[in-house]
Amino acid sequence: MRPPLHIPDLSAAHAVILHRPHTLVQAIIRQLTAIGLNVSASWPELGPEVLGADFVFFDVDMGYDEQFPWAACNAPMPLIALIGSEAPGRIEWAIAQGSDAQLLKPVGDSGVYSALLIARQSFEARQRLQAEISDLRTRLSERQTVVQAVTLLAASGKCDADAYGHLRQLAMSRRETIEQAAQRVVARLASERGSNVYRDNS
Amino acid sequence: MKRPIEIGLLYSKEGSYAPLAQACRRGALQAIEDINVDSEFDIELIPVERDPKCNIDLYEPLCTEILRETSARHIVGCVISWSRKEVIPGLERAGGTLWYTLPYEGFEASDHVVYTHACPNQHLLPLLSWAFPRFGRRCYLTGSNYIWGWEMNRAARAVITDNGGEVLGERYLPIGDTDIDRMIAEIKATRPSFVLNSLIGESSYAFLRAYAAMGQEDPYFTSKTCPVLSCNLTECEIDSIGSAAEGLISVGPYFVGWESWPLGTRHDFASSFEASSYSAVRTLATLLNGKPGAENETLADLLHHSNAAQTLIDPETHHTTLPVLIAQIQDGVFQVLQSWEGIPADPYMTHPDRHPQDVQPKLSVIK
Repeated sequence: MRPPLHIPDLSAAHAVILHRPHTLVQAIIRQLTAIGLNVSASWPELGPEVLGADFVFFDVDMGYDEQFPWAACNAPMPLIALIGSEAPGRIEWAIAQGSDAQLLKPVGDSGVYSALLIARQSFEARQRLQAEISDLRTRLSERQTVVQAVTLLAASGKCDADAYGHLRQLAMSRRETIEQAAQRVVARLASERGSNVYRDNS
Repeated sequence: MKRPIEIGLLYSKEGSYAPLAQACRRGALQAIEDINVDSEFDIELIPVERDPKCNIDLYEPLCTEILRETSARHIVGCVISWSRKEVIPGLERAGGTLWYTLPYEGFEASDHVVYTHACPNQHLLPLLSWAFPRFGRRCYLTGSNYIWGWEMNRAARAVITDNGGEVLGERYLPIGDTDIDRMIAEIKATRPSFVLNSLIGESSYAFLRAYAAMGQEDPYFTSKTCPVLSCNLTECEIDSIGSAAEGLISVGPYFVGWESWPLGTRHDFASSFEASSYSAVRTLATLLNGKPGAENETLADLLHHSNAAQTLIDPETHHTTLPVLIAQIQDGVFQVLQSWEGIPADPYMTHPDRHPQDVQPKLSVIK
């Protein structure tokens, strides 16, 4: 049995179109309005309200980096590229912005709804992956702390394996990561250094 | 002197769903006849017909032929969603408009189509919200193997699971296939609280006959405990099903005897398909009335004229504000059990305020 597709709730969603006045803008506004979104269009500047938008459609043919109030690939919402000229340089630029979906010009009767769904899906997947990567990076950078904590715990007479098991138990009992437990152990034992006695108060 | 205006009709006279197409055609021709003798209208509509014979590959060429060889810019036609999606690119190229007059699965708002029958917030959502408190939330889903069946069941699954219900099974048949034994066996094994039937044509009739036969053996599978629900069954198919249709519950904007829709004085339609096609032609006539040259304008322009205010068409979605009626076949006739009036369409399910909810009367307990 297929799992139900996650359809984003688009009620009261707001879309911004960054494109010079053109029939294409009218075609996109027509589709977005029929779907039920609020729409605004601007060119060449994006107003401050863009930060509250749920989707941004941007022109790839005439677009440039300085139009966006965020660093490339760091838009806080899904981006949809509006591609006319399929010149490799322009496509490269669209990719560099971090576009999540695209519409080819001319835009006719359809295409916007699938672009919204695909853009939202890939934006969310990217956000999830980025969060996971940054979490793993943090944990990776704490390797040294873990080694330090195991060494400190082993100093009370345990073997390395037991010391690590102890650390893991500390983490589990407080529902935190091994790295967080290691930080606490290191902070506490470092302050007790000198007495050479470790008492587990956790 | 009336202005003659050609209007295309694209309905099959033979093939698997021809009875539905013929119901639509009768409604459209009735409207043409009424407009042509009505002195309130300054136009005379001349039908230009093509017969796609329920062959999916004939719709696009025949639609293009009407737009190329005649002066008709408006075509009333197509019965299944698949054929509607086939003709849209041709309409877009030629600047034509299709008036689509059957219920469909939503998630479309073409600039070249007017939708005069119901979409899911006008059929599926109210039907499920009505059925849950009466029968339960354990459901079995059937469907024909194309966009209507797939999308109806996807939406139903989402609504059922969001409401804490359960989908016990989901099975499809190719259009025209009548091999329903496995579906019936699964329903017998799972004993759901109701069956949502999105099969069409002969598959649907075969299923309903087999289901009625199962109800003879085990009274659980009858309309009081485990009804079959439908979002597209109308009076025009009751004869093809026979007594097995008894107890079936359907939803639509019109059942025989209801008078709030379509607009106009005529209310003697044989089913909502006649009504909806009648409504399409009458709405088009209203848009063109008193506006020489309007027959060559785009749909978008027509919907921005003052005449559009006399219609029920939403200029943003091109869908129709409709009554929502839930009705059950009792002694061969649909009896309306629940009704809502004036529900605007929400084809993309983004306007929760357009979703009619079943409000049950509260019973007070006297001690």
